[in-house]
Amino acid sequence: MNIVVDQGKCVGAGQCVLAADDVFDQRDDDGLVDLLNASPPAERLADVRHAAAVCPASAIQVED
Amino acid sequence: MSIDAERLKLPLARPNVLELAPLYEVLRREAPIAPVTTPAGDPAWLVTRYEEVRLLLGDKRFGRSHPEPEKASRISTAAVQDGPTGEFTTEEADHTRMRRLLTPAFSAKRMRLLGENMEQLVDSCLDALIAEHERTGVVDLHRGLAFPLPVAMICRLLGVPEEDNELFASLSERMAGTEIGEEAHKAREEFFRYMVGLVETKRGALGEDVISDLVRAQAEDPSFDYVEMVRLCVGLLFAGHETTVNRIGLGVLFLLTERSRWDALVADPDGRVDAVVEEVMRLGAPGDLGLLRYAREDVDIAGVTIKAGDALVLSTNAANRDATVYSHAEEFDPDRPERTHLGFGHGAHFCIGASLARTELRVVFAALAKRLPSMRLAKELDQLQVRATLTGGVAELPVTWRSA
Repeated sequence: MNIVVDQGKCVGAGQCVLAADDVFDQRDDDGLVDLLNASPPAERLADVRHAAAVCPASAIQVED
Repeated sequence: MSIDAERLKLPLARPNVLELAPLYEVLRREAPIAPVTTPAGDPAWLVTRYEEVRLLLGDKRFGRSHPEPEKASRISTAAVQDGPTGEFTTEEADHTRMRRLLTPAFSAKRMRLLGENMEQLVDSCLDALIAEHERTGVVDLHRGLAFPLPVAMICRLLGVPEEDNELFASLSERMAGTEIGEEAHKAREEFFRYMVGLVETKRGALGEDVISDLVRAQAEDPSFDYVEMVRLCVGLLFAGHETTVNRIGLGVLFLLTERSRWDALVADPDGRVDAVVEEVMRLGAPGDLGLLRYAREDVDIAGVTIKAGDALVLSTNAANRDATVYSHAEEFDPDRPERTHLGFGHGAHFCIGASLARTELRVVFAALAKRLPSMRLAKELDQLQVRATLTGGVAELPVTWRSA
């Protein structure tokens, strides 16, 4: 799995952190997405896909 | 757009506070973007299908401002989401700056850290309610829990004195009032003056809170208008309690009007509360309108042409019950496979307080299920007083756990 985030699109909603807090965080200074792990293990795929689906800014891309 | 006799007039009357007008189902199927007349008497488009509501919320061709605000359709007779806001030419830049400024204070991590604090607060509310119940046999969860928790949390975050709560709650109620005419706009002016007073009092001793952050940012940035800053503070204080108070009320009603829903949560509060909260966010439908947008340019979509300047009412309430997206869409089912909804909106204006609201709702419903498992409504749903405000909800939540 490979994850790409676009901080230019991110609106800091924090939805991804709620979906998978081992993969995504929010930066302290501006609240934008901080990708903790760009290639987490395959068993995290469902939560990561959910994070991408609920992102209100479509700022998360996931490739298998 | 011209008004014709065929146009639907908003709001569409609903059977009760938990259900929507059956006509929404017909609209989603046959006219997902329909011409309507707003409660203020002006033309607008009502958008009801999930696909279009989500698409339009994420589309930058639609905004909150209008090039000629005085000519824009008015939506509601309340003084909230009643017409365009912001500068047409700088809207996107202004909004981005505002989000950058506020997002850190409302981040998921910070809200999670507040969770323990919230648990203590909820426990003390419940202690007081339990003591009162010993004497009276019936207590009002609205007054004793649904209202004080969100108010206390937003006061702490924004740096607003908690003892002002009766004042700003009554200003909020009047500002969102849909049946009081000009009074709503007077309340908005009073709320503005209250906030100017608070801002200027704080300016001498700025602290670690959101209003202090905004005062600092405005003082340093000549393009950040003072009036805009004060309006933002009013908006945060209004939205930061009003919405969650209502959502707690609607959640309690969904859970207690069908015993099996409540029993399922009581059986496993920690395991089930997150899914219950998401279902309350999906199905809970406060207010009868929706999110307001104005088209920035002409747009062809779903078989209609929306002209630049046209108003749109995006019914997230209707979208969240779209049968093409959700199986048995009208049923309250926390176990449903569909995990997304538009209860916090979508796109650039996604609710900045979503993590705060989720944390509050999770703490409240887990605590209620653990501490008051035999709780039931003390009045029928149809007898509960519904608030005549833009954000709806109930004015009372009488419950009892006395053995029948």
